[in-house]
Amino acid sequence: MIKESTQLSFKNVGKSYGRGKTVIEAIDLTIFQGEFVSLIGPSGCGKSTILKLVAGLTPVTDGDLKVDSKSPEKAREAMAFIFQEATLLPWLTVSNNIQVPLRLLQWEKSKREEVANRLIELVGLSAVNDYYPRQLSGGMQMRVSIARALTLSPKILLLDEPFGALDEMTREHLNEELLAIRAQEEWTALFVTHSVPEAVFLSSRIIILSANPGRIYKTIAIDFPYPRKPELRESLEYQQAVADVSHHLRSVER
Amino acid sequence: MNNRLYWALPLITGVLMIGIWYAIKWTNDLPHYILPSPDEIIRAGFAEKDVLFKAARETIVGAVIGFLSAGSIGFALALILSSSSWIKASLYPWVLFLQMIPIIVMVPIFVLWLGPGLPSVAIITFMIGFFPIVANTTQGLISTEKNMVDLFTLYNASKLQEIFFLRVPYALPYFLTGLKIAASLAVIGALTGEIFAGSASGSGGLGFMVVVYNSQLKIPELFATAIVACALGFIFVSMVLVLSWYLLRHWHESVAQKDS
Repeated sequence: MIKESTQLSFKNVGKSYGRGKTVIEAIDLTIFQGEFVSLIGPSGCGKSTILKLVAGLTPVTDGDLKVDSKSPEKAREAMAFIFQEATLLPWLTVSNNIQVPLRLLQWEKSKREEVANRLIELVGLSAVNDYYPRQLSGGMQMRVSIARALTLSPKILLLDEPFGALDEMTREHLNEELLAIRAQEEWTALFVTHSVPEAVFLSSRIIILSANPGRIYKTIAIDFPYPRKPELRESLEYQQAVADVSHHLRSVER
Repeated sequence: MNNRLYWALPLITGVLMIGIWYAIKWTNDLPHYILPSPDEIIRAGFAEKDVLFKAARETIVGAVIGFLSAGSIGFALALILSSSSWIKASLYPWVLFLQMIPIIVMVPIFVLWLGPGLPSVAIITFMIGFFPIVANTTQGLISTEKNMVDLFTLYNASKLQEIFFLRVPYALPYFLTGLKIAASLAVIGALTGEIFAGSASGSGGLGFMVVVYNSQLKIPELFATAIVACALGFIFVSMVLVLSWYLLRHWHESVAQKDS
């Protein structure tokens, strides 16, 4: 793992809404370039809030958060966000959905299509290029969403439970694809999930949060080398790591 | 239900209703100026077809002008309302309140201001279609999915991009629903207008003919006028349904269900 430059730095970061409802508190965390960090924890631990803070969708109320050594709002070009729902525009085709970020930057059509075609191929959707989102399965919609997030070659990918609504099989496939894509694109990932096996399979580091208010409870390094193959899931070491993380997660929830 | 039954059932109920109509007329021995029979109505309609045709044309002009201006001005106002929470807070309650005004009360007032004739008729049609369009479109513009708006924020989309690239297409089905309501009311609005503001020149639309036939006790002709008005309303609504199908056919569940 390359651990040279700092990509995200949280210094004593806190967030509260309105009259003192504190969502997260005293988060100290440094994420380096090329890491895949998962946030996991009971509901109410503020893991989605952390993503929103990084994306600059809501301001930090305490402490200091830097993305690429800039404020979150200023670092938006370096980031892409993948939501729990695919969040595709239903009136646009697959190809046009992928082009949305480029259209907002007013790229010319031929360049947009070039990028879209490359990404459609990357996520394996060439056959449904001209389909509308409602004609696609949940897994395919999520692939489109991933392709759209990659259009501007982000340095940091923020993923908010992107596979939470999918069935087990599809989820595992997409986990593998996500890692395969990352091997080519090399972004840093901050990933929110409820699934321990998924977190272990994907991450280089798992951060367990405790709830009310959200704080970092424990950080666990996952040292399996990349590229990770599906067979990893069958290994004893993997099972052990899943059991380990689950154990810690249970002790938070108590 | 099989296809043949699908077409046959409404025809059967139609025939039944006409049978009941004749039965009521004959058993009570009603004269044509109380309840004309369907055949009397059809004959009266054909006898007056030139007059009715000309009147229908006038009504169409008033209804189209009122309807199109309700659509465009209603859409524009909805855009303005949704563009800022300040504007919305100060105007939207009034829009909802004004919607409650019974249009029939406004009719003589507009005639007083604008005089009889097309302008009054058009503005009454406008009034009746305007509010459903504003209310529906505004609803669509402000209920755009939060995640989609966040997505646009993340890509530093400008306010204009957010409106025209996201909110307007998102609100399109809502706008079309408003338009459908306005279309079904357009002919009624124009007729209502014409009843009060009918004629500036001695001839007028269908509403004006209602007044004329009524004063002459030409009741079968009155019924025929109602049928022509029905047909016009049907055409208006059909055109909006076709437009709506065309615009939403690829992506909206309301019209796209069958092709996937």
